[in-house]
Amino acid sequence: MAGILETPYGTRDFLPREAAAKRAIENRLAKLFAEFGYEEVVTPTMEFLETLTISGGVESNLFKMFDQNNRTLALHHEMTTPIARLAMSRLKDSPLPLKLSYNTSVFRFRKNQMGRQCEFYQAGVELLGVSNAFADAEIIALAANGLKVAGLKDFTICLGQVEFANGLMAENNLPPDVQTEIKIAIERHDIVGLEKIVDALNLDKAAADSLKKIPKLHGGIEILETACALANNKKSIDAINNLEEIYKLAEIYGVADKIAFDLGIIRDFEYYTGMVFEAYAPNVGYSLAGGGRYDHMLKDFGLACPATGFALGIERILTACEKQGISNDVRAKDIYLSYSEGKFNAAIKRALELRDAGKVVELSLIAQSKVDAEKSQVDKGYSELIYLNDLDF
Amino acid sequence: MIDEYITIALPKGKLFGLSTELLKKIGWTAEGLHEKSRKLVITNDAAKLKFIITKTADVPTYVEYGAADIGIIGKDVIMESGKDIYELLDLGFGKCHLMMAVPKDKKRASLEDYAHTRVATKFPRLAKKFFDERGMQMEYIKLNGSIELGPIVGLSESIVDIVETGTTLRENNLEEIVHIADATARLIANRVSYRLKFERINNLVTELEKIL
Repeated sequence: MAGILETPYGTRDFLPREAAAKRAIENRLAKLFAEFGYEEVVTPTMEFLETLTISGGVESNLFKMFDQNNRTLALHHEMTTPIARLAMSRLKDSPLPLKLSYNTSVFRFRKNQMGRQCEFYQAGVELLGVSNAFADAEIIALAANGLKVAGLKDFTICLGQVEFANGLMAENNLPPDVQTEIKIAIERHDIVGLEKIVDALNLDKAAADSLKKIPKLHGGIEILETACALANNKKSIDAINNLEEIYKLAEIYGVADKIAFDLGIIRDFEYYTGMVFEAYAPNVGYSLAGGGRYDHMLKDFGLACPATGFALGIERILTACEKQGISNDVRAKDIYLSYSEGKFNAAIKRALELRDAGKVVELSLIAQSKVDAEKSQVDKGYSELIYLNDLDF
Repeated sequence: MIDEYITIALPKGKLFGLSTELLKKIGWTAEGLHEKSRKLVITNDAAKLKFIITKTADVPTYVEYGAADIGIIGKDVIMESGKDIYELLDLGFGKCHLMMAVPKDKKRASLEDYAHTRVATKFPRLAKKFFDERGMQMEYIKLNGSIELGPIVGLSESIVDIVETGTTLRENNLEEIVHIADATARLIANRVSYRLKFERINNLVTELEKIL
């Protein structure tokens, strides 16, 4: 039968070596999140379509199906929405702030390519109930430390603030549809397109130049001053002050050396309301992690509540580690234990002793000659062979 | 300090000469950088530059994956590719436009009369987008060259293609009936390279803006 050995489009298997590396990173991240006081939650792989699309815009990328009552279900495409639902339902009476973490696969229908599968793994956190820069700085510190514990040395977190661009546009009284067009051009860094849109607005030159410069505002802390000089409105200036405050806290967290500023990062602007960020590593053509502040989303579920968070792409981090020559394959293969005929009982006892002593032991399931045992040890990649025969007694 | 190479993808064909000429003016060049080069990667170690020469349609692919940090390519190819790349600068040259043409002697009264007919094109994605927006279902026949041949040999009722001067159309008794989009050469960048190598890429943009 054709197809029985295939996996569906955009999905993959993790072989033992890959699964071990993935597990190692996930374990370290889970430990880190717990150390910061974030508690893991698990939500259903599928949700009602209405839940996932409450903030709009994603339906065409969802894997959908029907339940027995013909209600439309969809596989979760990210974890922020399910966690928001959870926070507004079963965790509604929990004291704020809520600090939650997750580690799961998510599903998006899209063109499959390296680092962009339809099913992919994310680990992340959501911090609900606090709107200050202190919360955002904790998120940035956690993301930076997450990439560090995953083994990455060379990476950059680029910080932006969506309110900076929003303030500049409001300052010029741009109608909503033009604002959307501009935001799409900024997010895509379609600088040619952005210039065309802005030129058509007949703004005075200074205002037009400011708008055109947004995607090029990238650099160290000094870029914030440049940005401030472009703005004549409180919203944009507050946004810059917010970034400065986050940066000062990031210095105390010891992660400021990993931070660059980029006011052209606005991500999914329907959703984010403040600080946003993406993490990059050399020679990996896509972002490793992303997140930001989304203060309006929980209102869609019934109660206004500020929130901030991020997700790390596990496969992307694995790729970045590989490019930087960092191995996460931590499978210990200590001892292959084999034996001659009649030594079953002794072998089992010996294996138990060794395992109690913390060794990884594979016990042969049949009696072998010494030569065969040596071959098995090598084939299976164990560093040591223990062979039991009559001479041991 | 420049410690990392910048890799530039350049397309074979008519944009190649114009691109290398432009880049040379600001010192972005390398010994042996010509279209017929047998070397696949041409390096300038002093300036930390690497050039790769690829098929036209492949430039956005190299840049999207980050195999090249930046590239020069026509807007038509960018739009057709649908790739997630940054578009930094309109270089002005390589001006052309995407249009729909039909045989002069078989011209129908209106565009809508071509619904459910066959259209030969090298740009099926752009063509489909254009017709979809007008509620027209078409049969798209993807060709890789000599698109004009389609209607002549009865393979299709129309073509959607790039035109510079219109000479080829006239020579083949085709007439443009709809102008779809304008295109020029663009400087494009990978989204991660743009950030991790921002200074050099941004300087390049500034330098080019000065001489364009």
